Amino acid sequence: MTDSKYFTTTKKGEIFELKSELNSDKKEKKKEAVKKVIASMTVGKDVSALFPDVVNCMQTDNLELKKLVYLYLMNYAKSQPDMAIMAVNTFVKDCEDPNPLIRALAVRTMGCIRVDKITEYLCEPLRKCLKDEDPYVRKTAAVCVAKLYDISSSLVEDQGFLDQLKDLLSDSNPMVVANAVAALSEINESSPTGQPLVELNTNTINKLLTALNECTEWGQVFILDSLANYSPKDEREAQSICERITPRLAHANAAVVLSTVKVLMKLMEMLSGDSDFCTTLSKKLAPPLVTLLSSEPEVQYVALRNINLIVQKRPDILKHEMKVFFVKYNDPIYVKLEKLDIMIRLASQANIAQVLSELKEYATEVDVDFVRKAVRAIGRCAIKVEPSAERCVSTLLDLIQTKVNYVVQEAIVVIKDIFRKYPNKYESIISTLCENLDTLDEPEARASMVWIIGEYAERIDNADELLDSFLEGFADENAQVQLQLLTAVVKLFLKRPAHTQALVQHVLSLATQDSDNPDLRDRGFIYWRLLSTDPAAAKEVVLADKPLISEETDLLEPTLLDELICHISSLASVYHKPPTAFVEGRSAGIRKSLPARQGSDDAVAQEATVIPSQETLIGDLLTMDIGAAVPAAGPPAQPASTGIDLLGGGLDSLLGGPPTEPASVAAPTTTGLLGDIFGLTTAPAMYTPPKTCWLPAEKGKGLEIWGTFSRRSGQITMDLTFTNKAMQAMNNFAIQFNKNSFGVAPGASLNLGVLQPGQSIENNLPLTTNGPVQRMEPLMTLQVAIKNNVDIFYYACQIPIQVLFCEDGQLDKRVFLTTWKDIPAANEVQYTIHNIKGNADAVASKMTHNNIFTIAKRNVEGQDMLYQSLKLTNNIWVLLELKLQPGVTNATLSLKSRSVEVAASVFQAYESILNN
Amino acid sequence: MGGLLSYFKGLFGAREMRILILGLDGAGKTTILYRLQVGEVVTTIPTIGFNVEQVQYKNLKFQVWDLGGQTSIRPYWRCYYSNTDAIIYVVDSADKERIGISKDELFHMLREEELQDAILVVLANKQDMAGCMSVAEVHQALGLDALKNRTFQIFKTSATKGEGLDQAMDWLSNALQSRK
Repeated sequence: MTDSKYFTTTKKGEIFELKSELNSDKKEKKKEAVKKVIASMTVGKDVSALFPDVVNCMQTDNLELKKLVYLYLMNYAKSQPDMAIMAVNTFVKDCEDPNPLIRALAVRTMGCIRVDKITEYLCEPLRKCLKDEDPYVRKTAAVCVAKLYDISSSLVEDQGFLDQLKDLLSDSNPMVVANAVAALSEINESSPTGQPLVELNTNTINKLLTALNECTEWGQVFILDSLANYSPKDEREAQSICERITPRLAHANAAVVLSTVKVLMKLMEMLSGDSDFCTTLSKKLAPPLVTLLSSEPEVQYVALRNINLIVQKRPDILKHEMKVFFVKYNDPIYVKLEKLDIMIRLASQANIAQVLSELKEYATEVDVDFVRKAVRAIGRCAIKVEPSAERCVSTLLDLIQTKVNYVVQEAIVVIKDIFRKYPNKYESIISTLCENLDTLDEPEARASMVWIIGEYAERIDNADELLDSFLEGFADENAQVQLQLLTAVVKLFLKRPAHTQALVQHVLSLATQDSDNPDLRDRGFIYWRLLSTDPAAAKEVVLADKPLISEETDLLEPTLLDELICHISSLASVYHKPPTAFVEGRSAGIRKSLPARQGSDDAVAQEATVIPSQETLIGDLLTMDIGAAVPAAGPPAQPASTGIDLLGGGLDSLLGGPPTEPASVAAPTTTGLLGDIFGLTTAPAMYTPPKTCWLPAEKGKGLEIWGTFSRRSGQITMDLTFTNKAMQAMNNFAIQFNKNSFGVAPGASLNLGVLQPGQSIENNLPLTTNGPVQRMEPLMTLQVAIKNNVDIFYYACQIPIQVLFCEDGQLDKRVFLTTWKDIPAANEVQYTIHNIKGNADAVASKMTHNNIFTIAKRNVEGQDMLYQSLKLTNNIWVLLELKLQPGVTNATLSLKSRSVEVAASVFQAYESILNN
Repeated sequence: MGGLLSYFKGLFGAREMRILILGLDGAGKTTILYRLQVGEVVTTIPTIGFNVEQVQYKNLKFQVWDLGGQTSIRPYWRCYYSNTDAIIYVVDSADKERIGISKDELFHMLREEELQDAILVVLANKQDMAGCMSVAEVHQALGLDALKNRTFQIFKTSATKGEGLDQAMDWLSNALQSRK
């Protein structure tokens, strides 16, 4: 006998037994068998082989048996997609059963069977059930539409289910309305375009508000959540919605309360803040929020996370409720920490005494995390409530005296911030801090201490010794501490150069030669070059005045806060992250934002100052399809070298950059610097103006754009530096230009990828000059729209005209002469250039690099005459005569062109080229 | 004595007879099923799946399975073959084009091991339609002469008019009873 015997068995097994029982004539036996099958299914045994036999039990009068079979179907239809078709007829019949329970059961089960092959057969029964006479069937069918949308959105749209669903919003039964609303919201959220497929209007909103009072608590949540997505058309409507939902604040279900709060918070944006209505509404919001804090800890935590957002958005609501946020001894740690956070946010001069005594109490508790946070909270109070800073500092000093290791370290970290906030006020305590130098073992505390020593090096007599002692273990320190040490020693050197030269050289060599950390190395190199080239500049950079810090540093970024307010009572409000950050597959979803208050045109007015012709621009930009219109070109041309000298370029951006803490200065410019380093050896190229700030972060919702234009071997490029100063990543960048005088247009799409918070990306966008042309005023103005996942931003910048000078701009001598004569004298413009360095030859060669070609050079009465020509990308020829006198730094420039409008820009180009 | 026994047997309806109604789509299977069950013509839609009903004819109880005839469903007929006492095979007499397919499906089915003892009733349905094939033509076209070792009979029927079904059922109940 072969080994195949091991695979055949005489024992028929459980499945076989079940199979014969399922096919039994006796109904009882059949039911028992199905129960056994379901039992096996729930414990995880594979009983999918019984699919046909179970399906055959489907047509029965017995409701219990039917439910069991349906349960089986929901589980196994996916694994038997072909065979599932055998169940369709029964579904169709059950949807017409006289018993509404069976009709609803059938339509619900149908929605759960996610098999493509049979979905189309289920549309007819679903359509009937949506019009069923029984509300229970209708409400079940409504949810089924949302399920079907998830399987096949096109089917739902083609079959007109959306309209049917919309009709259900006016249903006489509130539960049906609630489910229809829930289904519609779900469909809207998963709509692929991000645009809601079904918009609510005033009429339907009224119906929803009527249904709100009559349906179950979860139905109320559905209705409230969709009300939150509706933008009323005016203040009056907003106010009336507020009035009608305010009673929900008294509901026993926390979800209803929070959803109501969400809608109110959103609508309050539309109400004028100083109205009586708004004030009373604010007052009404406080008690329900406080009530939430008396529930079990888990609910408290959710409530606190939401309150944290509410307090940031509208501090007034809870300003008198400080006491409820005081920590109870038996609160779980997560509730304690969250309460602490809210306490700080609510701290004001009125209640600071109370808060401080509480915080001091907390700092003596046993839980290390909590104590740390309490100490930190004292520091934050000092920064937030100015008049009480003194008391906070003395409290911190008391705590340092306790000598409890982690308390001391935490205190030093916050004292650093206090020094930043109140310079030259509390330095007297430095000596106390220095006493505790040896006990610091955490990187953050050590880094803070080192920063303090460096910052106040001139007042600490033995600062050099202290820093020297830190340097001994330099290699073992955390990167954060190493960076601070490097900066501190440089600061010390700049302040007291006398005896610290050896120290600074030691630390620079440690940073640049012995370290693998690129941040540290780059910062070391920058300091080194700064110090060796221009100590005065170094002083300006390293010892620059730091911007004052305020308590806002720990607030959520406003756009994020607004978005989170729209997500109150959801996971997003607990995580304090937008749903896109943690829900997979919803990246295209709509970002919610608070409605803009009517009549407040601040934002628009502000933009108008940035861009001269607002209306035409908006008109033009709106007709453009951002993101799609840019022809997909190959990868942007690799930027050729720019010949800017190393430190000049580096320093320009360093000095011109936003004044930030020196610690963060080095990072964003490293790439640019490296580019310069490698570019040094190549030939001089066209003059490129330094980057200027085109879009400041406050106008770009955290996106900052610096940029300039350049031309390298015939390719015009827009060199951009994108910096993300917001607290969330940005992506989906796209760029569009408005029509402009020279038809400048993007030659490729903007491939930025994702811009992480704090990150800078350099991008060289190749440009073409085949775009639509429209004369701009001023001539060289270019209006740009940048889109990202946050918003669309508009700014205007000036194109330096030299990037439009063509490489083939050299005229033949005779042609030059005849053209010069042909152009009427009225088209001649004169200009005086100051501060010219170098002789005529140097000037000529400098100009040639910038595509201004010297046709001839003559010497007339001791004066050098340069005859030059240039051609613009749109074939405008410009002829020039430059009169130079040796020894005199002023020169006269005469320009002739048929389009004399370009004169001013050309003069500017001459000026900038010759002076650089 | 035997007659008495069979009388009691019939009275208590000892076992439900399992009958399958098969045939191509649109042959009239579902109409026949409900004609047999409630005696009326009901409006039907294409059966995607199956219908099963209890049918009482004279004193015999049948469990009648009406399976969908669509191409996509035919492969699953075999799931219903076991313990089948009789097959009612319905043919659309007016559908001359597909009679060949109908024949193929019939013989394919009859080859199945589980159906060797099943009695076959062929219904040449839609006899009320103008220009339909006669019983003899259907008999010929299905090649029923080739059937060996099979109790079978062909009837002309019109399900919508209710003609011919009674004869067929009479014959079937007799055949089933005498088989015992």
